[in-house]
Amino acid sequence: MAEVKKLSDGIFEVIKGKKQLATKNLDPGKTVYGEKLIQVEGIEYRTWDPRRSKLGAMILKKFNIPLKEDSKVLYLGGASGTTISHVSDIVSEGAVYAVEFSPRSMRDLIGLASRRKNVYPILADAGKPDSYSHLVEPVDLIFQDVAQPNQAEIAARNAIRFLKKDRYLLLSIKARSIDTVANPKEVFKEEVRKLEKAFEPGFEILNAKDLMPYHEDHLGVVAKLK
Amino acid sequence: MKINTWFGVLETDRAGKILESRLLSKDVRELALHSLSLRDNRSDLSPEGFDLKAAALECGFVESSAEYYSLLHKITLEAAKLQVSGALTPDQRIIQAVEALDDVNETTNSLSERLSEWYGGYFPESGLAGEDLSLFIAKYGSRENLDPQDPLYSKARSSMGAKLEPADEVLLKGFAESVCSLYERRRQIETYIENSMELVAPNLKLVAGPMLGARLISLAGSLEKLAEFPSSTIQVIGASKALFKHLRARAPSPKHGIIYSQPLINTAPWWVRGKIARAVASKLSLAARIDFYSGKKDPSLTEKLETKVLLIRTLNPRPPQKKQESGAKPRKKRRK
Ligand SMILES: C[S@@+](CC[C@H](N)C(=O)[O-])C[C@H]1O[C@@H](n2cnc3c(N)ncnc32)[C@H](O)[C@@H]1O
Repeated sequence: MAEVKKLSDGIFEVIKGKKQLATKNLDPGKTVYGEKLIQVEGIEYRTWDPRRSKLGAMILKKFNIPLKEDSKVLYLGGASGTTISHVSDIVSEGAVYAVEFSPRSMRDLIGLASRRKNVYPILADAGKPDSYSHLVEPVDLIFQDVAQPNQAEIAARNAIRFLKKDRYLLLSIKARSIDTVANPKEVFKEEVRKLEKAFEPGFEILNAKDLMPYHEDHLGVVAKLK
Repeated sequence: MKINTWFGVLETDRAGKILESRLLSKDVRELALHSLSLRDNRSDLSPEGFDLKAAALECGFVESSAEYYSLLHKITLEAAKLQVSGALTPDQRIIQAVEALDDVNETTNSLSERLSEWYGGYFPESGLAGEDLSLFIAKYGSRENLDPQDPLYSKARSSMGAKLEPADEVLLKGFAESVCSLYERRRQIETYIENSMELVAPNLKLVAGPMLGARLISLAGSLEKLAEFPSSTIQVIGASKALFKHLRARAPSPKHGIIYSQPLINTAPWWVRGKIARAVASKLSLAARIDFYSGKKDPSLTEKLETKVLLIRTLNPRPPQKKQESGAKPRKKRRK
């Protein structure tokens, strides 16, 4: 028989043979990327593969994920919606503004958003928040996974514009997208420095850890505007 | 101050209170188009931290939070759909066709080899291959069915091949028909690419030929990107392996990528190929720019290129003297 343990609001561990990260399925009966559906006491859970999701890995690496049922989230770099689907499960009464600039990925995101009323797809460049400032309200959390060389700048621009006071930015930094040959440790140090100093008012870094063994050469960061 | 939002224009005072509002009607399509029109807008942006939902409630655009979110959901979906359908531009269709052609070619070659291997046991002397072989098998099946007028008739009669049993014959004929239709599909896609290139990139087609032109667009990602590439990049597109080797290990820089298939380059003697590749790349770059920005066909492009290539060849009639190999002991220069 399966057992469920709550890790934090909306985030669970389903134990059925082995322990698996999971969220309550907001779209019952449907899977998004081939994950498993597990019924426990009449509730359907979707397993969450940390190897396919930086946010999933961050949870297992014990990052504190400050999300509630009614949180508003700005998600930058949505791709085809693997992680967004879980965020949408977690903030079942909230909103996920999903920014993605590849039309091909957006096609998949549109499919996801048409089944989930709390996902708002936005085809735009996350480096130009002005281009969606007429759509996005102040949010409780920004999650960013764009794998771009200018990711610190992208984070700063969006946080200044959309992040509510004293709320958090969660960021996944991919070493190889910044510099393909440099030592990842050096790249991470430099990126963290940029987040702290390169922009006014700068971020305060609350936590930074690598995402091994789920993602190689990735750093997870939690930060807050100073 | 004035603020543009997805539901209308607001006029607020310093404290953020709404003084006046011009609201749009709650028509999903209209709102979606309005939202798209605001993407490149640089003026009257909402200030940092502006609460759109509270404003929509305050000015009476919506009655409740629930209504706000449900409407916003519809319009973001509609706007994203409009953008995605607009993203399938004619050059993107060419790219799809090029990729499909590569897949069809790969499949055709491997199935065609399989067919030849398989039928070889029954009629090894046929001397046919590729499409000819598949047409032959689809038509006759066993070599015993050949009519006496066929040039292969006598070879078929004296063949050392095994007898083709009816069950195997059915299988082979069906297989051959599939291969035939793949060859058919290949021609259909090639024709499509030729026709589309004439409409989308006539100058590139002129200088590169339809297939090379289409491949350049495909490797660049779009006609726009190709038009933005410097000609030195166009010269080595498709030679990424050689290029990385050059960057990492200081191997010689590649002289050409896929533009090598341009006849002016591959028919030239080896010692001028680099120079000619540069000339061709620079015309290709010009052609792509004209195609992207104006679209008018300029037939003088090829004439100019041919003149230039002729000049290069006349100025370099003979291979250069072999240079000293680096690493070998430098011999003393002898003066005459
Ligand atoms: C590593 S993937 C994100 C994976 C996703 N977060 C998940 O876990 O399912 C990075 C995505 O960011 C998108 N991206 C990169 N730069 C962007 C930008 N400036 N604006 C919007 N999206 C961007 C890419 O198209 C790609 O889909």
